[in-house]
Amino acid sequence: MAVEIGGIIVQYLVIYSVYAILALSFNLEYGFGGIPNFGKVLFVSLGAYAAGSLVAYIVTGIGASALGVEIASEGTPPYCTGAGKTAMTLAVSQGIVGPSSLFLLFITSLALAGIVGAIAGIVASYPALRLRGDFLAITLLALSEVARLIAYNSEWPACSFNGISGIPGPFAWLTGKSDLAYAGLSVALLILTFLYVDMATNSPWGRALKAMRDDEIAGEVYGYDIPRLRMQALAIGSGLAGMAGAMLAFYSGNVNANTYKPDLTFMVIAATMLGGAANNIGALLGAAVIAGLEIFFNPSSLEALGVSLPQNVSLAMPYLKYVIMGLIIIGVLLFRPQGLIPEKPLRVPLVEKARKRLQELMEKR
Amino acid sequence: MSSTVVYGTLGAIFNGLLVGSLYSMMALGLSLIYRVTKIPNFAYAEYITYGSYFAYVAAVSIPGSKGLVPALLLGLISAALIALASDELGFKPLWKKGATPLQLLVASIGVGLILRYGLLGLIVLVIGSRYLEIATPQRSSTIFTLGGLASFTTAHALAISTAILLAAGLWFLFTRTKIGKGMRATASNPTLARISGINIYAMRRLAWLLAGGLAGFSGFVYAYYNVVNPESGWLMLLWIFAAAIMGGFTFFGVMIAGVILGLAQHVISFYGDLYLGVGAKYSPVIALVTLVLVLLFRPEGVIRMEALAVRRA
Repeated sequence: MAVEIGGIIVQYLVIYSVYAILALSFNLEYGFGGIPNFGKVLFVSLGAYAAGSLVAYIVTGIGASALGVEIASEGTPPYCTGAGKTAMTLAVSQGIVGPSSLFLLFITSLALAGIVGAIAGIVASYPALRLRGDFLAITLLALSEVARLIAYNSEWPACSFNGISGIPGPFAWLTGKSDLAYAGLSVALLILTFLYVDMATNSPWGRALKAMRDDEIAGEVYGYDIPRLRMQALAIGSGLAGMAGAMLAFYSGNVNANTYKPDLTFMVIAATMLGGAANNIGALLGAAVIAGLEIFFNPSSLEALGVSLPQNVSLAMPYLKYVIMGLIIIGVLLFRPQGLIPEKPLRVPLVEKARKRLQELMEKR
Repeated sequence: MSSTVVYGTLGAIFNGLLVGSLYSMMALGLSLIYRVTKIPNFAYAEYITYGSYFAYVAAVSIPGSKGLVPALLLGLISAALIALASDELGFKPLWKKGATPLQLLVASIGVGLILRYGLLGLIVLVIGSRYLEIATPQRSSTIFTLGGLASFTTAHALAISTAILLAAGLWFLFTRTKIGKGMRATASNPTLARISGINIYAMRRLAWLLAGGLAGFSGFVYAYYNVVNPESGWLMLLWIFAAAIMGGFTFFGVMIAGVILGLAQHVISFYGDLYLGVGAKYSPVIALVTLVLVLLFRPEGVIRMEALAVRRA
C-alpha cells in the first residue's frame, strides 16, 4: 500500500514538472507576450520525437553491433522492429550501454529536443507576425493536429501508429528505483526552468514582451523590434516545450502520436488561465491542479489508492477529467478572468529608488 | 486503365460534391455565428456530432424507412437547442462582460471539451464499452452506378439538393425579409442595430438556432452514409474553418468554398492514391495548406460573395 502511494507521488512529481514547464512556457508566450500559441502540443511532440528517436536509434545500433545481430528493417527505422527492441532492452540490461552513457544520451537528446522545438518556434513566428490573435490560434491548432496525423501515418521517425517504444531513460539501469531518481531529476529541471523564466520575464526583455502584449504600435514607437521579440518569445517557449516533450518521452518510454492530441494544449491553457496569466507562480499553481486532475482521474492510480469503482465509472473517469477541464476554463473566464493569482504590477528597483530620492529632495526644498 | 481513371474521377467528384455540400452547410453555420457574435466557435464540431447521435437514437427506436424523417428532425432540433444552450449558458454571459475574441475562442474550446467528453463519458457509462461507433440502420442506397466505380446514392441526392434548397431559402431569409435585415444589421454593428430598435438578443438566438440546425442536419446526413464516432465532428472542424475562412465568412463565398474543398479533398486523394499510393489519410493537409495560404496572403477571404449585404431596391 505504502509503495503504491509512493509510486503515485513519484508519478505526480514527474507529470507536474512537465505540466509546470509547459505552463511556464505558455505563460511566457501568451501571458507576457500575448501570442496565443495554441499549437503547444506540436512543439511538445517534436521534442519527444527528436529525443526518443535519437536515443532509440543510438541504443539499438550499439546493442545490435555488440550482440552481433543484423537488424533487417525495410522502410522503417531499426528501433521499430521487434529485433531492434530486443537489442535495445539487452543493451541496457547487460550494461553494454552503461549508466554514464545513458545519462549523457539523456542530456544530449534533451538539448536536441530544445533546439528542435526552438527552430520550430522560429518557423511558427512567420505566421505569428501576420495574423490576428484568434486566427493565429486557429492556424497553430490546425498545424499541430495535422502534424500529429502525419506522425501517425509515417514510419520515419515515428514508427507510424505503433509509436516508438522501449526508449531507455537516464536511470534505466537502476531497477526498481529508476522512477524515483527520474522524479528528482524532473523537479530539478523544473526549478531550473522556473528560475530561468522568472529571470527572463522580470528583465527589460520581459517588460518589452508586456509592452508588445499591451500595445504593439506603442511598443514599436518606443523602439522595440516587435517581430524580433515575437520570434524570441516563440523560440524560447517552444524550446522549453520541446524539452518537456523529451522529459515525457523518457518517463513513459514511448512516443505515440495519439498522446499528442490538442487536448494537451487545452490542459496547458487551462493550467495557465487558472493560475493567472503573466504570473509565474500562478503557472506553477495551475499546473499543480491540472496535474492532480490528470493523476486522480486515472483508474489505475485510484485502484492503487484502494478506491474501487464500478467498471463503467472507472472507464468514464478519463473523459470526466476533460469535462472538468472545460468547466474550469469557462468558470475562470466567467468569474475570475485574472486567475487565482492576478498579475502584479512591475517592480523596477531603480525607478523606485529614484522616485524616493526625488521625494526627499522635494521635501528638503 | 483509362476507364478506371475516368470513372474513378467521376466517383471522386460525386463524393466530393456530397462532402462539399455538407462542408458548405456547416461552414455557413459557423460563419453565421462568427458574423453575429464574433466567436470563432470550436464547439461547432460537437453540435454536428450530437446531431448524428440524436438522429441515431430516433432511427433506432423507429425501425424501417419511417424512422428517417424523425431522425432528421430530432438531429436538427437537438443540435439547434444545444447550440442555443451553449450560447445562453456560456458565451452570452462572457460577451456581456466584454470578452475579447480570443477569450471567446478559449471559451468555445471549453464548451467543446465539455460536450465531446461528456458524450464519450455518457456512452461509456451507459454501454460500458470504450467507444461507440454509430450509423443509422437505414443506410443510403445506390441510385445509379457508372462504370462500377462512380456510384450516386440517396445520400448524395439528399445532401446536394438540400444544400441548394437551403442556400436559396437562407438567401431569401437574409435579403428579402425583415428578420434577415435585422440579422445583417446585428452582424455588422450590434450597437447601432440596438439603437435602431432591433432586438439583437432575438437575432442572436435565431443565429444560434439556425447554425445549430445546419450542424444537426449535416450530422444526420453524415450518420446516414458514414460511420460516426464521438470525434467525427472534431475531425471535420479543420475543413469547416478552412471553408469559412476561404469564403471570407460571406454567404455565397462560404458555400462555394465548401464545395471546392470537398471536391479538392476527394479528387486529390483519388489521384494521390492512384499515382503515389498515399491514400486519403493525408487529405487534411489540403485543408491546412488552404487555411494557412488564405490567412497569410488574403486574410479577407478568396471568394467574397456577400448575400448578407445585398441591398433591396
